[in-house]
Amino acid sequence: MRRRARIVALELWLPVVVVAAWWTLSAGSQSLYFPPLETILEEFRATFLSSGADEHLRPSLVNLGLGYGIAVVTGVVAGVLIGMNRWAAAALDPLVHFFRALPGPALLPFAIIAFGIGTTMKVWIIAFTSLFPVLLNAIDGVRGVDPTAREVARAYRLGRLRRIFAIVLPSASPQIMAGLRVGLQTAILLMVVSELVASTSGIGFFILQSQQQFEIADMWAGIVALGLLGCILNAAFGLVERRVLRWYIATHGEVVR
Amino acid sequence: MREPATTAVVGVAGVAGALAAWQAVSAGEVLDSTSFPPPTEVLDALVRVVGESWFWTALGETAKSTLLGLLITVAIALPLGAALGLSETAFRSCRLVIEFLKPIPVVALLPLALLMYGTTLQMKLVLICFGTLWPLLMQVIYGVQNVDAVAAETARAYRLRRTRWLVSVVLPSAAPFIATGLRVAGVTALLLSIVTELVGGAAGLGLQITRAQSAADYDELYALVVITGVLGIAVNGVLRRMERRTLRWLPEHREVAA
Repeated sequence: MRRRARIVALELWLPVVVVAAWWTLSAGSQSLYFPPLETILEEFRATFLSSGADEHLRPSLVNLGLGYGIAVVTGVVAGVLIGMNRWAAAALDPLVHFFRALPGPALLPFAIIAFGIGTTMKVWIIAFTSLFPVLLNAIDGVRGVDPTAREVARAYRLGRLRRIFAIVLPSASPQIMAGLRVGLQTAILLMVVSELVASTSGIGFFILQSQQQFEIADMWAGIVALGLLGCILNAAFGLVERRVLRWYIATHGEVVR
Repeated sequence: MREPATTAVVGVAGVAGALAAWQAVSAGEVLDSTSFPPPTEVLDALVRVVGESWFWTALGETAKSTLLGLLITVAIALPLGAALGLSETAFRSCRLVIEFLKPIPVVALLPLALLMYGTTLQMKLVLICFGTLWPLLMQVIYGVQNVDAVAAETARAYRLRRTRWLVSVVLPSAAPFIATGLRVAGVTALLLSIVTELVGGAAGLGLQITRAQSAADYDELYALVVITGVLGIAVNGVLRRMERRTLRWLPEHREVAA
C-alpha cells in the first residue's frame, strides 16, 4: 500500500509542479506571447465549454470523423482483399508506398483545385492521406499471415469469408491496429492543416484567426483545446486497441509502438 | 529464384497502368486539363523545374531544416532518454508529462511559432523539434529499459565501467528501438518542414508548391508534388535501411510499417 502511494506520488509531482509553475510564473504576465494561464483557461471555458464548442469544435470533429472513418473502412477492406492476392499486392505496392511517403499537406493545393475550400475538400484530404498508412499496414499484415495457418484453412476447406474472419483478420490485427494509429495521427494533422489553409470554421481556423487579431489568450485556448483533443483521441484509441488485441497482449506482452 | 523479378515487373506495370489512366482522364477532358494536366506535361515540367536554380535552393532549404531538426532532436533525445531509461525514479516522474505532450498535434503551435519567429529557419526548427522529440524520447527510453537482465548481471559481475557498459551493453540492445524511433522522427521532420513552408510560408519546397498554385502553373505544381513524394521515399528508404541493420540482431522485434 505504501509502495503504491509512493508510485502515485512519484508520477504526479512533476505534472503538478509544471502546471503550478506555469500558473504562478505567468500570473500578471504582460508578455505578448505568454498571457497568464488563468486568462487562457478562462477563455478556454468561455469558448469551448459553452455554446462556442458547437461553432468551433463541431465542424472539425465532423470532418475528422468522416475522413478517418472512410479511410479506416476503405483501408482495411481494400487492404485485406489486396493482401490476399499476390498479384494485386505486387501491382499496387509502388503506388501505395509513394502515397504513403508523400507528405500529405503537399496534396492540399490539388485538393483545393479539385474540390474548392468546403467540407468536401477537407474530408477528402483527411481520408486520402490517412488511407495509405492503414492500407499499407493491412496489406503487409495480411501478407505476413503464417503460411501454416493458410494451409490449415485450405485443408479444412474454409470458405473465403470464414478464412478472412477466422484466420486472416486476427493474425493481421496487430499490424492493422498499428496502421490505424498512424492513420489517426495523420487524420488529426490534416484536420488542423486544412483549416489553417482554407477555412471559415473549425478549431484550426479559430487558432489562426485569434493569432491574426492578436487575441493571444484565445489562440492559447485553441491550442489547449487541440492538445486535449489529441490526448483524448489517443487515449480512446489505446482503449480500443487493448480490447481488440487482448489475446495478443496476453501472449506477447505489451504492444510495441 | 525469379520471384522478385516478376514482382518488380508487376509493380512497374501497376505504375504504368495508373499513369495511363491519369493520361486518359486528362486527355479525355473528364477533368479540366488545364487544372489537371496529363502526366506527359507534368514530366516536361519536372525536367524544366530540375534545371532551375530556385528549385535547388528550395530543396536545400527543405533538406536543411529536416536534417538540422532531426539532429537537434537526436542530440536531446539520446542523453535524456538514456537518463530516464536508466532511472526508474526519473522515468516515473516524467512519464505523464511526456505522455501528455506526445499526442498534441504540433501544427496547433504553428500560429504561435509564426508570431514569435516569423517565417524563419528557427520557426521551422522549433516546430520540427517539438513534433519529433516526444515519440523519439519514448523509443529511447523503451530501448534502454529493454536491456537483457542476464547481460546486465554479467556486466555487473565483470565490473564494467559505466561508459563501457553504456556503449557495449545498453546501446546495442536499445539500437533497434532507437532506429525505429529515428525513422518515424525523420519522416515527421520532413512532413513538418513541408507544412511550415506550405502553411507557414517559410522558404522551401512547400512554399514553391504554394507559389506554383497561386501562379496557376499547374504542371509545375504537380511536378513539385511528385518530387516531394520522391523525397519522402528517399528519407523513408535511407532510415529504413538503417533500421534493418539494427534489427538483424533482434529477430523477435516485430516490424511495423509506420
